[in-house]
Amino acid sequence: MPPDAISARPGFDATLAGRRAECDGGSAIPGTRYAGREEFTGTLSGEYVDHGDPPWRWYRLCDLERKPPGYPADSVWCEAQSLFLIDAAAP
Amino acid sequence: MKNPLQTKLCDLLGIEFPIIAFTHCKDVAVAVINAGGFAVLGEAMHTPEQIAADAKWIRDRVEGRPFGIDLVLPASVPPADTLEQLMEKIPQAQRDFAQQIKEKYDVPDPKGPIALHQWGGLNQAIARAQLEVLLDERVPVIASGLGSPAFILERAHQLGLKVFGLVGKTRQAKRQIDAGVDAVIAQGYDAAGHTGAMGTFSIVAEVASIAGDTPVIAAGGVTTGRHLAAALCLGAAGVWTGTRWLASRESDLDMILKEKLLAASADDTSYSTCISGMTMRVLACPWTEEWKKPGAPDVLPAPYQMLLSSDYLQGANDHRRADLMTEAAGQGVGFVTEMKPARQIVFDMVEEALATFDELTGEPA
Repeated sequence: MPPDAISARPGFDATLAGRRAECDGGSAIPGTRYAGREEFTGTLSGEYVDHGDPPWRWYRLCDLERKPPGYPADSVWCEAQSLFLIDAAAP
Repeated sequence: MKNPLQTKLCDLLGIEFPIIAFTHCKDVAVAVINAGGFAVLGEAMHTPEQIAADAKWIRDRVEGRPFGIDLVLPASVPPADTLEQLMEKIPQAQRDFAQQIKEKYDVPDPKGPIALHQWGGLNQAIARAQLEVLLDERVPVIASGLGSPAFILERAHQLGLKVFGLVGKTRQAKRQIDAGVDAVIAQGYDAAGHTGAMGTFSIVAEVASIAGDTPVIAAGGVTTGRHLAAALCLGAAGVWTGTRWLASRESDLDMILKEKLLAASADDTSYSTCISGMTMRVLACPWTEEWKKPGAPDVLPAPYQMLLSSDYLQGANDHRRADLMTEAAGQGVGFVTEMKPARQIVFDMVEEALATFDELTGEPA
């Protein structure tokens, strides 16, 4: 199956929208055999995407208060298990 | 006295020694497995077809013994840009500095186009396609070198496969343990390549304290039997070793880099963001040292810095310039002083670990 054939189903979780969270993120580095870690703090938009089956869920973290120096965007997609809610209502 | 090397990791995998080789070389993996250890082949850069072929290649040579394959599951993904869009965003000051380094050290041009691979878990779809192959091929252990593998656990377990996750923080370990991973690899700052900020001694003990029955595997700076013994004393059930195998007899690493590793000490490693834009430990080289100097421009974030450093790295490798070349290396590299067969490395680590326990207890282990 070509990679782009894997389904991506968007959704919205109102219970998470506006919650502050930290993301212990990172990904592979182009041109190397290695991966790098990157950390973000921001506010969840509530948007999510489920990739494939079983679903691999990703949330959009916006209004980034903390991001790697020079990180060019103001949002990042974070894998659900790598997100940690940090506001007072966090379970 | 109970054999201290017979740990719950050995029971989990059916292996003789709690030593895991993380390697990109299939020959090293097979040698370690057949010597009684365990090996995980790093395949993050490979296509699904290559991964399937490599899994078959190993399976044909290990007589039913288990093996693992490691992928880099992403944990965060920025909004996508094309390579051309990324290149356009590199500021002139950093371009000029890279050119200055090139001229100062007479760095040759790469012999071909820069090999910026498109594989490697850079996005969810690619990582997912790689994972599907591991499931189809029934690879006995699926390891995730970065992001959480929790979403694949149920399916892997239904197929009788085990799933390991590598973490750089205790809270990541707790998440993965709660999700049901079969083992968690606690990787410290001492490690080669991209690491977190927590030292191996600290993270291993901390993760072990919350792991319950889940085996913890210590990673970062582990190159000797004494390190293995220490890891077990910290509560680990085994060790995850990478640098140790790079200079093994079977390793397919360039001989120039092997010789550099054999000559290196911990002081010869450099921990910085100047290779890829993310913190990474490598053997120091002119590129790493120049970016540390006063007056150097700011290092760019990933992936821009990697685009910038690729010309240097590939030029150095293509022309085998020993003075320029570098390789990921952990702080345990100072103990890598001989180019031994992988099998011998396993046995030496085991003997040294047992001797260490003998010293501590005053009786033979």
